[in-house]
Amino acid sequence: MTHFNRRDFLKIASNSLLGLSGLIGLSGLFRFLSYEPAPPPPLEYPIGPIDSYPPGSRTVLTEIPALLIHDPEGFIALSLTCPHLGCTVENLPTGFECPCHGSRFDPSGQLLAGPAAKALQPLQIKIKDGQLFLSQTTP
Amino acid sequence: MQILKKYISAFLSITIFIFMVLLGSIPSQTAAAASGDWPPPRTQPQAGEETGSALYHSFCAACHGAAGQGLTAAFRSQFGPDEDCAECHQNTSPAYTFPENAPALIGPKTLKRFVNARQLSNYIQVKMPWWDAGGLSASQTSPLTAHLLHQNGILVPYSPKKAHQISLRQPEQTTPNPEFGGWSLTALLALAAFSLAQREKPNETAKPGTRPSFFHHLHPPRIPANQSRWRYTLGAGGLAVFLTIIVGLTGILELFFYVPTPEQAGLSVQLITYSVPFGALIRGLHFWGAQALVIVSIIHLLRVIFTGAFSHPRRFNFLLGLVLLVILLFLNFTGYILRWDEGIHWALVVGTNLLRSIPLVGETLYRFTIGGPTLGAATLTRFYAWHIFGLTLIGALLIGWHIFRVRRDGGIAAPPTNREYINRFELVRRETLAMLISLAGLILAAITLPAPIATPISSSATVLTEIRAPWFFLWVQQLLRYGDAFWLGLGLPLAMLATLAAFPYLFPRLPDAEKGRWFPRTSRSAQIITAWLALAWLALTLLELLTQ
Repeated sequence: MTHFNRRDFLKIASNSLLGLSGLIGLSGLFRFLSYEPAPPPPLEYPIGPIDSYPPGSRTVLTEIPALLIHDPEGFIALSLTCPHLGCTVENLPTGFECPCHGSRFDPSGQLLAGPAAKALQPLQIKIKDGQLFLSQTTP
Repeated sequence: MQILKKYISAFLSITIFIFMVLLGSIPSQTAAAASGDWPPPRTQPQAGEETGSALYHSFCAACHGAAGQGLTAAFRSQFGPDEDCAECHQNTSPAYTFPENAPALIGPKTLKRFVNARQLSNYIQVKMPWWDAGGLSASQTSPLTAHLLHQNGILVPYSPKKAHQISLRQPEQTTPNPEFGGWSLTALLALAAFSLAQREKPNETAKPGTRPSFFHHLHPPRIPANQSRWRYTLGAGGLAVFLTIIVGLTGILELFFYVPTPEQAGLSVQLITYSVPFGALIRGLHFWGAQALVIVSIIHLLRVIFTGAFSHPRRFNFLLGLVLLVILLFLNFTGYILRWDEGIHWALVVGTNLLRSIPLVGETLYRFTIGGPTLGAATLTRFYAWHIFGLTLIGALLIGWHIFRVRRDGGIAAPPTNREYINRFELVRRETLAMLISLAGLILAAITLPAPIATPISSSATVLTEIRAPWFFLWVQQLLRYGDAFWLGLGLPLAMLATLAAFPYLFPRLPDAEKGRWFPRTSRSAQIITAWLALAWLALTLLELLTQ
């Protein structure tokens, strides 16, 4: 161990202080860059009166995009956004197929094949005064 | 001989002058059919319009109405209490059931969901009539399109070949015919290239007391002849610099009209393409210049690997080049996104969602890239800023560094000189020749193959969707079909890049005898690995093209 004099100490101390300040400055930059001006909008979509969806109907709502199924048991809503990388899946008589990477799902949205690892996400359904609302649980 | 040359150059300059006068004085076609005056004047009927009219009444009028007004309540009420055809026709086939709604086809802004006549005719071909989609033949679609154009007051004569040049958004094309300018410009450049190639090699060194011009000064006074052979360098590095300049200049011109907001972006691209004089040419040069730059850069990379030029002392410059390639791909992708139309919609969704698949930092990176929790105005602003400033700035600095290192490392890898040199005047002559030829090629591409365009992104899903990644990422799209998005979509491409980056550190220095040659023995395995990677890239790209 070589002799560690006052000059060395001051040099190391001031350099490490400078480095630390730099890091603190960087964290400021990080906070600047990660600010998000608006909170995510509430993902609730009004889709009109219950009567527009008679029992036995399967309605594609392109705006969301989602599929609303009216079964004897009640309403089921499925998101048509592919859980793989976000393309909108195609609604076919045999189920669903994603045009981007070829994932396939059965008519109830369960995963059949393809790169997707999850089934199509079900959406929550709320009924207020005979009006239907679909809402997405935040992904 | 000397006199002949003077005549040739005088002849050339007169030709250029006359051409420029002609080009400048072509009148812009007057804008007819401004959205305000309806019905628009129909001076010259579209060819095939009468056939189209008959077809319209047999196939389309039942739903879209005889006057093209669409399935309005008034029109529907003519069909009895059930407001459907099936009542009287006693037929349950879908042909006798009205669809939910049928949009108006004739009237101001009715066709505005289509950008150009080709999209309209494609839509009719694929989706119409609704009870028998795809049932119309091409010989029926074409007059139907002409009929709709005629009824909507579009005067540009319709032909299936030029359908992509007929805008349905702008009142009328006002651009001078870009093809005339393009073809004559190409011919001129070819002529200039020819006369330059005929000229004998300049052997003059700088005369005493004179100094080289700035452009000459950018080059070394002389370089070994071995370093400047076409068949060795392929001219790829120099060409990449030239293409960068072309893409930069045309990009600056596009900035004058491009509006980076979600509502305006798609429309402003249409404005540049269809209304601004020479706009289609400028945009075409920017687009094709950028595509050519990717190809030329990859050829440059392959040349460097297949000649072993990455080895010491050019190891660091090889890494710089790889970083530049990555920046180029990012620039290309961000530029592609700036169109903000349906053609790029899914590439944007997939490309940004891919970031999310990264463990731990994925979500943060995703939000940083798109500027919030969901795609929107902030996304476009950030892509715009990266495209025109961030990536461009880093790219420009690195290009400067890359070229500086070429000279610092003793020029292009070549065997020790055999005392054969070319001077800077000959070097500039060769460069000019390459520029003239490639510019002529670019202009030809720009006027014959229009840069892609589609309907602006709307919140609702539209029917005409393009789900293909840009061509240089098709292989990634194919890879993503096989399994985990993170490992296949990001891990594998990064591993390929890392393999290339490791080459200079894995293979020994080239002996002098092997420098400046194709396929040197010393780095044979690097060549084999690269060839396999290139083949895999090609195979995946072709597979993806076939899958869709």
